[in-house]
Amino acid sequence: MNVLAMVLAGGRVDELLCLTEMRPKAALPVFGTYRIIDFVLSNLMHAGVNNVGVLSQYRPYALVRHIGTGEHWDFVGRSRDIRMLPPYRGSKASDWYKGTADAVYQNISYIEHFHPEHLLVASADHIYRMDYRPFIDFHIDRGADATACFTMTKRKSSRFGYGVIDRTGKLIDYQEKPDKPPSDWVSMTLYLFKTDFMIDVLKTNAKEQSHEFGRDIIAKIGANCRLSAYKFRGYWAYARTVDSYYDTNMDLIRGKVALSDWQVRTNLLERCVRGDRLPAHINGKVANSVVSEGCVIHGIVKNSLLSPGVTVAPGAEVYDSIIFHDTSIEANAKLTKVICDKDVRIGSESTVGGFGADTPSREYKELLRSGITMIGRNTIVPARTEIGANTAIYSGARITQEHIEPGSTIR
Amino acid sequence: MKKNIIAMLLAGGVGSRLNVLVSKRAKPALPFGAIYRIIDFTLSSIANSNIDVVGILTQYKPLSLMEHIDGGRPWDLFGRTRLVEILPPKTGEEISDWYKGTSDAIFQNIGFVEDHSPEFVLIVSGDHIYSMDYNEIIAIHRARDADATVSLIRVPQETVSHFGIAETDGTGRITDWVEKPKTAKSNLASMGVYVFKREPLIRAITEAAKDSGSDFAKDVIPRMMRKQRVYGFIFDGYWRDVGTIHSYWQTNMEMLDPGSELKIRDWGIKTNLSAKGEIGDRPPAFISRNANVVNSLIARGCIIEGEVRNSILSPGVSVARKARVTDSVIFHDSMIDKECLVQSCIIDKQVSVGAKTQIGSGELIPNKKHPAHLYTGISIIGKLASIAPGITIGKNCVINPDARLTTKDHKSVPSGSTI
Repeated sequence: MNVLAMVLAGGRVDELLCLTEMRPKAALPVFGTYRIIDFVLSNLMHAGVNNVGVLSQYRPYALVRHIGTGEHWDFVGRSRDIRMLPPYRGSKASDWYKGTADAVYQNISYIEHFHPEHLLVASADHIYRMDYRPFIDFHIDRGADATACFTMTKRKSSRFGYGVIDRTGKLIDYQEKPDKPPSDWVSMTLYLFKTDFMIDVLKTNAKEQSHEFGRDIIAKIGANCRLSAYKFRGYWAYARTVDSYYDTNMDLIRGKVALSDWQVRTNLLERCVRGDRLPAHINGKVANSVVSEGCVIHGIVKNSLLSPGVTVAPGAEVYDSIIFHDTSIEANAKLTKVICDKDVRIGSESTVGGFGADTPSREYKELLRSGITMIGRNTIVPARTEIGANTAIYSGARITQEHIEPGSTIR
Repeated sequence: MKKNIIAMLLAGGVGSRLNVLVSKRAKPALPFGAIYRIIDFTLSSIANSNIDVVGILTQYKPLSLMEHIDGGRPWDLFGRTRLVEILPPKTGEEISDWYKGTSDAIFQNIGFVEDHSPEFVLIVSGDHIYSMDYNEIIAIHRARDADATVSLIRVPQETVSHFGIAETDGTGRITDWVEKPKTAKSNLASMGVYVFKREPLIRAITEAAKDSGSDFAKDVIPRMMRKQRVYGFIFDGYWRDVGTIHSYWQTNMEMLDPGSELKIRDWGIKTNLSAKGEIGDRPPAFISRNANVVNSLIARGCIIEGEVRNSILSPGVSVARKARVTDSVIFHDSMIDKECLVQSCIIDKQVSVGAKTQIGSGELIPNKKHPAHLYTGISIIGKLASIAPGITIGKNCVINPDARLTTKDHKSVPSGSTI
């Protein structure tokens, strides 16, 4: 298969508040043991795409370590590899990436090294299992210059790019973040291009002021080229906001994500099983929850997802929460609707979340208002602290007060 | 490259007292503690002792073991001068044949030993659950300028008949050595761990081979004791033989006891996580709304909808609604259907237990075929067996691998049966 993949993994995402303060969204943990980029990498692996470039510039360290040599997705061999493509300085055309299209443009020499016939461009920020092979066949059979992939949405939002697709599969209109969506079909930021066509388009775009695939490429190349649209009908999650990230995780325990069939690969040697974790030891009350290796549970866990190494002490209660790696919840602490990052300690008898859910965040009124409480990485919550809902505690914050009002932000 | 010490790991053990659990695999390849295999303990001990050349002697159904070892990668025994080499029997050379015993296996691979020309050779059996820093026995071996040092552990006097038993003098020198005695003055049992100087080792196994001797415990150690410096090293850590169904089951259960000295995580035991069927592509465990899990280990890919108590579940096990599993060890991808009752069982991989089946209930009658090995109430279900809904299976039963139990032939299987 003559396809090279470029994975867009670089952007900073502010809407996820403290979750993406120290990592790109692609490296964000999800479903207990995965990171978001695992889904696209696994899709590429299953489709037999052998060469992958990963474009990343925002705090890429977690991603670099996670991808490693690529062996976990079998991207290792004589003619198989995965490369991180960071921004670089050189004699010409070099700078920080100014947008998704610019990131690819600055790596034209990488593309030309492989001179593939087709280029697959995929965002690393989405959660879905898709067989890319019919998508690639569709693009090739139609002789398309570019093919964009769309998924149907019921909930219309002005955050997306929308496509208008005719009966034959031609993309006849594309609008980025329109006030009034023209259809139900949302762009998945997943494209196939004929390589030569793509390089021409990128070179033209490079002279413009804005460099995004949706807004500046797909929306503008329509007139004199063959532009197709492929419809994907499986589970697809965008997880752009705190609410949608939370809902996506909960979809797993609601049974909406058939993860056992997805065959998603992740880096097993890194954080997930570091220290060679034992299987989960459960000796408490666990219901409707996902539990990873290394967890030791003596308390109550309900409707929650636990990443590897989480401990829940006797008498502690965890409801409707997402707890990342190696966080410990001490005796008689109670967590309700909390997203808790790695290596956090919730002191005994503390109450996190569960009160003041109707008080939105004062600083992030639009982003944090549904009653979720967010605790940043490495936070120590002293014993007997009360933290209200819609509160965001950033990594590195020191908690000194015993009562934190709902809707607070602590840095 | 010359190495100071290399390790030779004996992984050919048949372990016949483990019954159907070892009918399709060598004992070192037997799963343990949900995600491990028995050989992981020895191999991790070797790696953690910074010994980085390992020969693994196999001949009994070695394929699953070879995949598991994966060139040594999971133990970081992989690199330009770090390696694990599988040494199966071979033909076409002067000394070549099936391995007739432990020392014969090394004798047939003298070439491998000589290639690395180490000063010392560590010989270990891959059959036991323990963690040991081999540098201690090597240091003592060196300090005493011994030709051979045997690692010994104190065992209960009534179990001496399972082991090679040594007597030592005040300096630690072995003065008497009996293999599997009915009674013995000493209770120091050989752990199957030996350190040799290379030259005396090669001489001793070559001489033994000339007299058709093939076993370290029976032929080599007694021979060396007469003329050479053979010492004992007393190990006082945790060590389990897991050679019988009961000890295998009990040692698994120790993982659930916080007071046990079995501390797999503290020991730094590593396993191959990415081999086929291991945790590789599996999601984390899911515990459903009506499940009840009490003091149990639950690995990746398990789906628990029923009740699980004091049990150890390998990756991919499912326990359906209203099923109850207690005091059991269940290997990879076995399915326990609705309303089953499973007590004190060891269930091998990919077994399917139909709805409303009961296993492990009834009278405590020893197994009729193996009364000496199977009398404590544990029933074993072989790999890929399938048990139709509604069958009742008693205690101390053995269901052979691939068996298809239908209600037409077996409405109930009384305690002590083998099928």
